[in-house]
Amino acid sequence: MAEEPGLSDQYPTASPWPLFVALGLALSEIGVFVGLFPVAVFGLILFGGSIAGILTESGYVERPWPTLLGVGVVLIILAAAFALWQVPVADIALSNVGTGPLFTRLVAVAAAGAVMIAMGGVASVMEQTAA
Amino acid sequence: MVAGDIVLTGLMAVLLVGVAALLTRVENWRSYTPLAGGGAVTGDETAVINREKPAGIIRWLTTVDHKDIGLLYGVYAVIAFAVGGIMAMLIRLQLVTPAGAILSNNAYNSILTSHGITMLFLFGTPIIAAFANYFIPLLIGADDMAFPRINAIAFWLLPPAALLIWAGFFLAPVTDNMIEPARTAWTMYTPLSVEQANPGVDLMLLGLHLSGVAATMGAINFIATIFTERNEEVNWANLDIFSWTILTQSALILFAFPLLGSAIVMLLLDRNLQTTFFAVEGGGPLLWQHLFWFFGHPEVYILVLPPMGLVSLILPKFSGRKLFGFKFVVYSTLAIGVLSFGVWAHHMFSTGMDPRLRASFMAVSLAIAIPSAVKTFNWITTMWNGRLRLTTPMLFCIGFVSNFIIGGVTGVFLASIPVDLILHDTYYVVGHFHYIVMGAIGFAAFAGIYYWFPIFTGRMYQRTLGKAHFWFSMVGTNITFFAMLALGYLGMPRRYATYQFDGAIAPLTQVSTFHQAATVGALILFIGQLFFVWNIVQSWLEGPKVEDGDPWNLERDGMLDREFQWFEEQLEADSPEKDPSLLADGGQEEQNDS
Repeated sequence: MAEEPGLSDQYPTASPWPLFVALGLALSEIGVFVGLFPVAVFGLILFGGSIAGILTESGYVERPWPTLLGVGVVLIILAAAFALWQVPVADIALSNVGTGPLFTRLVAVAAAGAVMIAMGGVASVMEQTAA
Repeated sequence: MVAGDIVLTGLMAVLLVGVAALLTRVENWRSYTPLAGGGAVTGDETAVINREKPAGIIRWLTTVDHKDIGLLYGVYAVIAFAVGGIMAMLIRLQLVTPAGAILSNNAYNSILTSHGITMLFLFGTPIIAAFANYFIPLLIGADDMAFPRINAIAFWLLPPAALLIWAGFFLAPVTDNMIEPARTAWTMYTPLSVEQANPGVDLMLLGLHLSGVAATMGAINFIATIFTERNEEVNWANLDIFSWTILTQSALILFAFPLLGSAIVMLLLDRNLQTTFFAVEGGGPLLWQHLFWFFGHPEVYILVLPPMGLVSLILPKFSGRKLFGFKFVVYSTLAIGVLSFGVWAHHMFSTGMDPRLRASFMAVSLAIAIPSAVKTFNWITTMWNGRLRLTTPMLFCIGFVSNFIIGGVTGVFLASIPVDLILHDTYYVVGHFHYIVMGAIGFAAFAGIYYWFPIFTGRMYQRTLGKAHFWFSMVGTNITFFAMLALGYLGMPRRYATYQFDGAIAPLTQVSTFHQAATVGALILFIGQLFFVWNIVQSWLEGPKVEDGDPWNLERDGMLDREFQWFEEQLEADSPEKDPSLLADGGQEEQNDS
């Protein structure tokens, strides 16, 4: 390990992640429930990213990227399941984003999931090709 | 709307990039050494560790040490107590005259709602978590909590929760009153809470939900810690009383708070996505009351059991006798924990529910008086013939017992259906539960703060100011809340912003007099809290350093608990003359010979 040690390697009783897990969860809740599209997307990304970070830091997983990808997949599946269950199939169209109260929220969740899959996927590939 | 979305997107993007930049600065994501299970870093890493924690503000933002998190909880709770207390003063000043002295009706309703939620969720639960975080690991001889990072997550959910709960107050002026503070009362009864279109109610509900998530995470952590992290010398037979009450409280939280969370989500869905959980054509408005009180009554015991544990721990220390009937105090704690889930409908006696059902809830509610009385008698018999030392923490413990008796006995009357039907929704109820939440829970919190002040600050508080704090609080509490009991008998309904009645409903002169008495009591109480803040802040900064690991002289009676033994070890380690290489966590090297 040639790199400089990070904060939580230097200090056994410090971790930068809990603060951001909490902030991510708070922003996700506000975004999804109040219906603020950008807050929902960024909040969920922060939440998913921090989960990936905290699991890696505590040694439950080796690298953060597969976790990030996994959280993204779970969000997309959840959003799709809710859409199929609660939204009439005819209304599921990109042009309807911003009209139905539930549909727009689900699109926000799915968008956050897609971003996380993209980030996790690209970072995984880059890390493997760099190694 | 589109412009607003773009601004919001920009803000969020900046925030996210900022977070990522900060994280890459402080943390190297590739350098992790696996330490699942919270184990210590081993091998050659010791060269890297030169101190336990980073310095400055980063220490407090990144800490996963139970003692630091305990202090964060404590500071948070005291700030929330100040906010809730100022709200209470506004309420009392408003009611000096029948027409209302200082607030509009809307402002009064907003402040009334926020006062309740602030005191219960942002002061009560966190101040207990503060003591539990700091002292449970020390009392059971653990290195830290079972899940230190989850502990930190649970704390950091609380500041956003508070901002959301108070959001309406900040946002009303800048949004031209489009988003106002919630005016639902802390019980959030439907249909009122569904029909208030104000988005401030949504924000308040989200904040409450986050605080519930935090409490649940904390509870899981305490249960895991007490079950798995005990030192080999600590078994179930000699587990201290405070840990027993925290264990019971955590079990109650585990069953009660997720239910509140679900009910809040249902309410949010009813408000925003046109579901009908609490609509007449759906589950009906009464469903909310059932769900809310199924959480709400255990919540009362969630808030009172650990303070009872504090009193059971502290009171014997200054009585020179061990806690009388220790086993039965534990059994009564467990009994209250179980019974607390079978009494919720006593909040709903006047809703027109089935009388047979009502009678069974009355029976269980009256039965709770038995374990509560067991505790009370055990505290009294602990003091009986003891060598009492009236230190500030002891005074607050005795005040607790005294106020708990008045709050408890008035509760027994309310548990009886015919009495409740007369006194329901009057100031009698307000007086009853304030004797418990302020007179008992608040007093136990003060007892804990003074008792352990030497441990968490390394200094001693000012004794005279502490005693002034006690006497002002005791006199103020009793004037304020006894006047409320009398107001209830006179028929004064609770929650009203004004009381210009027709004389046939209630005798206005007496009602005004008792309201004025309650306000005078509240002022006395308020002055007492100024002594408290002054004492804590000044003593923390300038108080005399504690040199002795046993500041309360507990060793004489063989009652020096594990946390003070730990404190003694810290003092020895901190003392540079003994061994300069041993610097305890947070301690600073001081050169005495210069």
